[in-house]
Amino acid sequence: MQEPPKLLRVENLQTHIFLRRGVVRAVDGIDLELAAGETLGIIGESGSGKTMTCLSLLRLLPKAGGRIVAGRVLLDGTDLTQVPEAEMARDWRGRRIAMVSQDPLTALNPVFTIGDQVGGPLRYHHLANGRAAVRKAVTAVLRRVRIPSAETRLDDYPHQFSGGMRQRAVIGMAIASAPRLLIADEPTSNLDVTIQVQMIELFRDIQRETGVGIILITHDLGVAASLCDRIAVMYAGRIVETGPVRAIYRNPAHPYTQALLAAIPHLGQKRTRLLAIPGQPPSLIDPPAGCRFAARCAHATPRCTEAYPPDVTVASGHVAACWLAQAGERTAAA
Amino acid sequence: MTAPLLELRDVKKHFPVEAGMFGARASVRAVDGVSLAVAPGETFALVGESGCGKTTIAKLVLLLEPLTAGSILFDGTDLATATAAQRKAYRRQAQAVFQDPYSSLNPRLKIGTIIAEPILAHQRPGRAALAARIAELLDIVGLPAGAAELYPHEFSGGQRQRIAIARGLAINPRFMVLDEPISALDVSIRAQVLNLLADIQQRFGLTYLIIAHDLALVEHFSTTVAVMYLGAIVETGPTEAVFANPAHPYTRALLASVPRPDPDHRPEAGVIHGEIASALAPPPGCKFHPRCPLATDRCRHDVPAVTQLSTGPGTTPHWAACHLIGT
Repeated sequence: MQEPPKLLRVENLQTHIFLRRGVVRAVDGIDLELAAGETLGIIGESGSGKTMTCLSLLRLLPKAGGRIVAGRVLLDGTDLTQVPEAEMARDWRGRRIAMVSQDPLTALNPVFTIGDQVGGPLRYHHLANGRAAVRKAVTAVLRRVRIPSAETRLDDYPHQFSGGMRQRAVIGMAIASAPRLLIADEPTSNLDVTIQVQMIELFRDIQRETGVGIILITHDLGVAASLCDRIAVMYAGRIVETGPVRAIYRNPAHPYTQALLAAIPHLGQKRTRLLAIPGQPPSLIDPPAGCRFAARCAHATPRCTEAYPPDVTVASGHVAACWLAQAGERTAAA
Repeated sequence: MTAPLLELRDVKKHFPVEAGMFGARASVRAVDGVSLAVAPGETFALVGESGCGKTTIAKLVLLLEPLTAGSILFDGTDLATATAAQRKAYRRQAQAVFQDPYSSLNPRLKIGTIIAEPILAHQRPGRAALAARIAELLDIVGLPAGAAELYPHEFSGGQRQRIAIARGLAINPRFMVLDEPISALDVSIRAQVLNLLADIQQRFGLTYLIIAHDLALVEHFSTTVAVMYLGAIVETGPTEAVFANPAHPYTRALLASVPRPDPDHRPEAGVIHGEIASALAPPPGCKFHPRCPLATDRCRHDVPAVTQLSTGPGTTPHWAACHLIGT
């Protein structure tokens, strides 16, 4: 029996940043899979490599020093790490993979109208030609991101839009070219909760309408739970646990995931002491040989600091990289 | 209820702006008639969306901005009419921890100098006494004494926030304003800092005024909460009562919107529409009515009065400003 081909398959991706003081192993051998119409959440702290992972997929790494040193990124079967830059710009980046960045204010140019900017990818990729056709297509895109009176608002400048409307326009820019894969880097973290919930709804609607695969990068465990089908937890450049969203939240197998869930206050649980995770993540210039979380882990054994743990399948589709994880069941303590 | 440590009486802060082509004067009513009382030893939380005026209140309380109208009383003294000496004494007793520990610490100063600044502004300790005090403060916030000789860039975000807390504690304040103290920190670090704040509150008998937008944090951390919308408090009361029985439609909408770390819980979209209105031209009547799913004609015209909800004797009253309560 053959599985349906995945939209995206990332194999052993390694992205290093070469600095004068050493090599930062920002992404250090990760595997990811995403099907069309599916949302994968990448959860991690700042410096865990989640943004570098996505910039690697788009091949938008910092020119000074960032480089994919190993691995493959297969989108619809094409290895993007091998595609020439001209083809990447013409057929892939902003066309079949698009990105929504965190801050809608800096993502929009203040001196061009919303219509000009949302129409940018349509003109660049020749998806609409001629003033009238672009205008019509932009209006349709703005309607799709639920901007009221789209046909007149496209002549507005970004400062005439509210924060929530700007973020809708930025999402519109990303989906204008009908991409296969949408990467959203903290798309809601600067927004108020009442706007955040509207954006979560919008992402879900767009996915239902277009079947786009979404990678959501976030540090917010609440947003990830509301939007994702599967979760990958990153820590210090590696994926430590991946699985269906329910398994990750109900039966987290990796002590880091368990600790993260215990470290945040939950609504409805009043004034219990939070379980703080001691210490901080290791430097990625010379990461420890063993499990990178071992120094902060309450369950660490000598073996944990000696060798990197293997991937253990704790349940179907649920994998944790932990010496203590038991195949088919989860670790004892939470 | 015991006498409040900090009291705001009908506080207003309007910022004048030039509007229109001919320099017509208008004003942003950032804070538009807020009254609240913070009891000694408690944690009073102000919550609301950006633009609701919660940070302006923090600035007013810290005397960083002058009031437009109303009064702020600390320990019974009106700060507006206080003498210079009384205001200086207040500044010693009221300290602050800000959101972003990357911009709140001067990158050119050593940690020891940063922590010494408030001490030297108010006292004249000897060199040895000062060094001992700095070491003691670093120990309280869980940093080694050697940190005093280092610069801010040598610390992570969580450690910097600890340094900011040490600076806040330096002159034994009674009261601290915490303006989004953990929202710039990583998830795994937040609990450390939050627990530290809870510990020092207990150890030194501090009173906190915390500004936050994270409702789960507020429920966890505060004893009293006030929900703000467009410059006014729409609901306030003991945290437990407000979270268990939210009375104002805005409080309910906020609670329903919070994405929870539970895949089986869906935040409710549609309970609230649109976005916060401009404080330059707040809507008439109830300021929340354009977004309220329950708004009636009356909400569009009349400013709702405060309705007292269940209270026991000696407890903080729970009230909300909505026409629809009890109808």
